[in-house]
Amino acid sequence: MSRQEPVLRKAKESDAEQILELILRLKRLNEEFDPLYKVAEDAKEEGMKYVLEAIRSNDCLVAVAELGHKLVGVIKVDLRRRRFYEPKQDAHIVDLYVMPEFRLNGYGQKLIKFVIKEVRGRGGIVTVEFPSANKISTSFYEKLGFRPILNTYVLQPTWD
Amino acid sequence: MLFKVGGVSDPKQEEAETVKKSEISARLHRYYKGKIEVEPKCPVRSLDDFSIWYTPGVAGPSVEISENSDLSYEYTNRGNLIAIVSDGSRVLGLGKIGPQAALPVMEGKALLYKYLGGVDAYPIVLSTESAEDLVKTVIFLSPSFGGINLEDIEAPKCFTVLDRLRNQAPIPVWHDDQQGTATVIMAALKNALKLTSRSLKNSKIALIGAGAASVATARLLFLSGLPKESLIVCDSAGILHPERDDLDRLQLKNPWKYSLAIETNGERRKGGIREALVNTDVCISAAASGPGVIKPEWVAEMNRPSIIFALANPIPEIWPREAKSSGAAIVATGRSDFPNQVNNSLVFPAVFRGTLDVMARSITDEMCLAAADALADYAQVKGLSEDHILPTMDEWEVYTLEAAAVGSKAIAQGLARVNKTEQELREGAYEKILAARKKVELLMKEGLIAATPR
Repeated sequence: MSRQEPVLRKAKESDAEQILELILRLKRLNEEFDPLYKVAEDAKEEGMKYVLEAIRSNDCLVAVAELGHKLVGVIKVDLRRRRFYEPKQDAHIVDLYVMPEFRLNGYGQKLIKFVIKEVRGRGGIVTVEFPSANKISTSFYEKLGFRPILNTYVLQPTWD
Repeated sequence: MLFKVGGVSDPKQEEAETVKKSEISARLHRYYKGKIEVEPKCPVRSLDDFSIWYTPGVAGPSVEISENSDLSYEYTNRGNLIAIVSDGSRVLGLGKIGPQAALPVMEGKALLYKYLGGVDAYPIVLSTESAEDLVKTVIFLSPSFGGINLEDIEAPKCFTVLDRLRNQAPIPVWHDDQQGTATVIMAALKNALKLTSRSLKNSKIALIGAGAASVATARLLFLSGLPKESLIVCDSAGILHPERDDLDRLQLKNPWKYSLAIETNGERRKGGIREALVNTDVCISAAASGPGVIKPEWVAEMNRPSIIFALANPIPEIWPREAKSSGAAIVATGRSDFPNQVNNSLVFPAVFRGTLDVMARSITDEMCLAAADALADYAQVKGLSEDHILPTMDEWEVYTLEAAAVGSKAIAQGLARVNKTEQELREGAYEKILAARKKVELLMKEGLIAATPR
């Protein structure tokens, strides 16, 4: 099963439920890296809106890896404009998830390549965000040639 | 069919028995102030002998060893000495009780090593819980010992530590809770399959629990020819399968269990223990103390005649009587008061006996299987029956056969530093084990080991 080639394509609205499942798995995984990534109670409802908006928006790109009729991987990219810097265009990967059993088969890389092909006309750079403590992601992206460029720090004030 | 099943099956009486044994044990431990000590093994005819055994004469062997460190096995007790190393993070069924509290258990293990295998074993408990520290400490200790027995270290840390030490340590490293338990399970399984006319290749097996013993058992099952998709593993959260919600977390925290989830369970079964057992031939459970963890009506849904290993201590996941009345033909437990005790003590003394006698560099899974085969074959020679699939500890000839099988396998795999025939290994093991038993007998006779107080 894991040797089959997936079909890569842009997401449709009818994919929304399966995409949401995959993205919720990713968010639940993030819980492992920091208590501030605790998944919210209403994540399912909010997540549905998020997925549908992303599929409909011209400023986002959502692509899926499909095996049979099953979605086994998803990538969600924000197409951002860098006002102050060059190059101007940034395809920013916000979510990338592949079902565990299909990992190590290059599906993640294929999804990224698919996105790069899709945004070829815009040019620019590709960036990605993930929790600092996720060492598996660090090594995955570094193997693909990504390098660190931006730090995000967090403070939770006491507000008294 | 009528079955005679021993053991106390009333939980209250059971608890009373356990409390009583604990009280006696505490009293006797205090009386003897422990169970092992260090004794000379060379003659002391007069104090002049110290110039041979110690300075200046001892410089001779030291210089030779400095030129060839392998001579330390010949000129010192290193070749018969192992360390029992623990951080006290998962002791018996007591959990994380700390290194000092683990010491009586480690001394007990050392006693068994000596009495059953003629192996000198010394307890080393460590005030650290980090895998990194454990690995480093064992490597630092390695010049003193011929081998290391890791003991009572919690999962998944024990997997990290064993895997790293098997690669990095210059001496053989064994984790009894993984390899010892898995080896005796394989021996019992071989005979149970034979008795029910099954082959491993065509069997479907449910493994209940996914801790140290289960992970190692899965590895030995695959090595022995069980197709990965024919194994169903069930942990406290249910059957492992590739779509389980916690799989991402497992990939980070417990890659061993993660691999099992991805690779086993070809039919993608979901559910709990009940669902895991349906239409399987064998249930091997090293999960949680029972009774009632495995229900008789679930056993009834297995393929008959079914095989049940309910190995939790102190109480099996299901009482043997209940399992048998629900269609189980062969039941094994971890207890000595029921037939078919699946007991690590049948394995570890012999494995290290064989390993040390050929100065092996490591203990491979193939060596474990050689020990399992020797154990199973011995029970076959004595006559297999539903109540006799394994030898018992008092049939101590079996340790010499196991040790010889382990040593021969190490030689065949190119891991031994010395070459011996199977017969030489068996005779060597026999002499060493006999000497250990005789010494205890003699010390007791002479009153140097005091009689047990009333």
